[in-house]
Amino acid sequence: MKITKYLILILFIWSCSSESGNGESVITTDDGPLTVTNPLLDFTVPANFPDATYSILQNPPTEKGFELGKKLFYDGQLASDGVVSCGFCHIQSFAFTHHTHITSHGVDGQIGTRNAQPLHNLAFMNEFTWDGAATFLDTQPIIPITSEVEMNETVSNVILKLAADDTYPTLFEEAFGSEGVSADRMFKALSQFMVMMVSANSKFDKLERGEAVTFTDQENAGRAIFDAKCASCHAGALQTDQSYRNNGLAMDPVFNDIGRERVTGLPDDNRKFKVPSLRNIEVTFPYMHDGRLATLEDVLNFYTDGMVDSPTLDEQFRRPDGTFGIDITPEEKVQLIAFLKTLTDNDFIEDRRFSEF
Amino acid sequence: MKKYFTLLVGIASLLTACNNDESNTATPDPGSLSLTFENIVNGASLSMSPTTYINNTNETYAVSELKYIISNIRLIKPDNSTYTYPVEDSYFLINEDGNKTVNLSNIPVDTYAGITFGFGVDPTQYPIESGTLNFIPFAEEAGMLWTWSAGYKFLKFEGVYSSATAPDDETTFVYHVGSHGANLDNYKEITLSFGEFQIASENTISQTIQFDVAKIFDSIYTLSLEEKNDVQVDPINAPKIAENVSTAFSILE
Ligand code: HEC
Ligand code: HEC
Repeated sequence: MKITKYLILILFIWSCSSESGNGESVITTDDGPLTVTNPLLDFTVPANFPDATYSILQNPPTEKGFELGKKLFYDGQLASDGVVSCGFCHIQSFAFTHHTHITSHGVDGQIGTRNAQPLHNLAFMNEFTWDGAATFLDTQPIIPITSEVEMNETVSNVILKLAADDTYPTLFEEAFGSEGVSADRMFKALSQFMVMMVSANSKFDKLERGEAVTFTDQENAGRAIFDAKCASCHAGALQTDQSYRNNGLAMDPVFNDIGRERVTGLPDDNRKFKVPSLRNIEVTFPYMHDGRLATLEDVLNFYTDGMVDSPTLDEQFRRPDGTFGIDITPEEKVQLIAFLKTLTDNDFIEDRRFSEF
Repeated sequence: MKKYFTLLVGIASLLTACNNDESNTATPDPGSLSLTFENIVNGASLSMSPTTYINNTNETYAVSELKYIISNIRLIKPDNSTYTYPVEDSYFLINEDGNKTVNLSNIPVDTYAGITFGFGVDPTQYPIESGTLNFIPFAEEAGMLWTWSAGYKFLKFEGVYSSATAPDDETTFVYHVGSHGANLDNYKEITLSFGEFQIASENTISQTIQFDVAKIFDSIYTLSLEEKNDVQVDPINAPKIAENVSTAFSILE
């Protein structure tokens, strides 16, 4: 009789186990039912940040979901060659960018056309990739998994591999409270891992929040120039207004990347790319959507002297005399770079929670 | 014996305890609805290439591929209240060369008089609801995913055509319609009413919905293949096709 009661209890938990698997859940193992504690992780919006765009309530990060997401992120099985993991192109010490190559390298050493983006504060972004092709963080990984020049796989095959794996079925069950390796759960777990990647502890953030830090004179001077000449686009705590703009880069004849126009089909969006966050910019070199600029000095020299005109060039760069660019003196460039380095968040770059080993 | 009976009832009610809409134990067992999508031209079943048809622009066309996504099914009762089919199970692919039937199970016993469904995937709802991303591998295998943008093709319509002026000149055409990022939403909802029917316990009712292929070209808008034979991420023509499609469904009474 006791056993039956126990059974009812388990059945009850099963029938009610929520997909998010928060709290406790009972899973089946070879040795019978096992209670797994899977506490919710604390996702807090930093005081100087806007609201999250990711719907945390629909997919609340849990300890086991995060661990599963992290394992997937660093697993070459998501690629056709079993080697190129997400973490291969998104390396933590470079704020999850890749910089041994200018544009990213994937399976069989194939070269992509774009520079791997940093991964941080993704829970606050409206759209993803340089042209906003992905509208949800949950679906974004479809792009690298299926791209021939990245992981060259299919989602269907990844699910087959994971379901046949020794450990994944148990990890999926622990994370979601019931049996089943599925695409939905894989994407949700990857999101739980990526959503937790909040970078908000740079010197810049601390100053914004009124914590006990001070800027040097040079950093302060740099900040004033930045506010006047850059912050209209690289705006706010996220360091981007999330719009798409053409900042005057010459068209690379090899890649011939039309930017946002690929997504919308609108000629007005030709050569526009998402304004990148400048957070951790010190370590995310090389710069721009195709990584054509190696250093921050190169970037500033480009803004003063390297722009080319085109019909969609942002109006802010047009000078009254018909030339284009931003006026910055050599001394101001030094000050700007000092300020840009206050955006480096070492706590994030060194956070053991996100590291592969 | 009585003890065990109580126990069984207990287990049964616990098992359904979480489907809280229908927690009443007196509810009769649900029934099923089988919806077949029949693709037609000129009132008769579509025949694939090499059979040809003529559109209102006098272009002769033959169809080599026709697939579309149906989603978010809701059944409408005579009093206009609705039964929403579980969203995560509510994505279906209709393929002229494959499956054209949507099997909806576990439908509450009731009288129904209409249906609302989506053409494509609602970008405002997707993929928030748990389970909806499980449609991805399926759509991927059917070639209905724009993998580069992680978005769906709602309609894949391909074939060859020739114009009236150059009838021997066969050219391929490609219509791939979906939403364009967050910029352009081509998802459409279609509501059709039909004669009242009863879903009965453990019974399957069959209904046929016809999709008039000719209306892809000629309905609210008239589209010429000669003018544009390759529509993919096309902000001008894709919305026109989506609107035409939204007029192309009807119930076969
Ligand atoms: C071959 C290198 C490579 C691999 C492997 C790779 N990425 Fe990326 N990632 C990139 C590049 C390049 C971009 C920019 C893509 C674009 O703009 O088209 C990017 C962009 C992103 C973005 C968008 C960031 C933003 O701010 O919009 C996310 C999220 C992301 N990747 C996650 C992942 C995940 C998860 C995986 C594993 C499933 C992965 N990536 C695998 C190179 C890679
Ligand atoms: C009109 C909007 C706008 C203004 C003003 C602007 N930028 Fe940018 N910035 C962009 C865009 C868009 C890109 C991405 C361009 C691309 O890759 O095609 C970018 C790229 C960058 C990058 C490279 C980031 C990366 O991750 O690769 C740096 C660094 C940068 N800008 C610094 C600055 C500084 C410093 C200023 C002020 C002197 C400034 N920007 C002013 C729009 C702007």
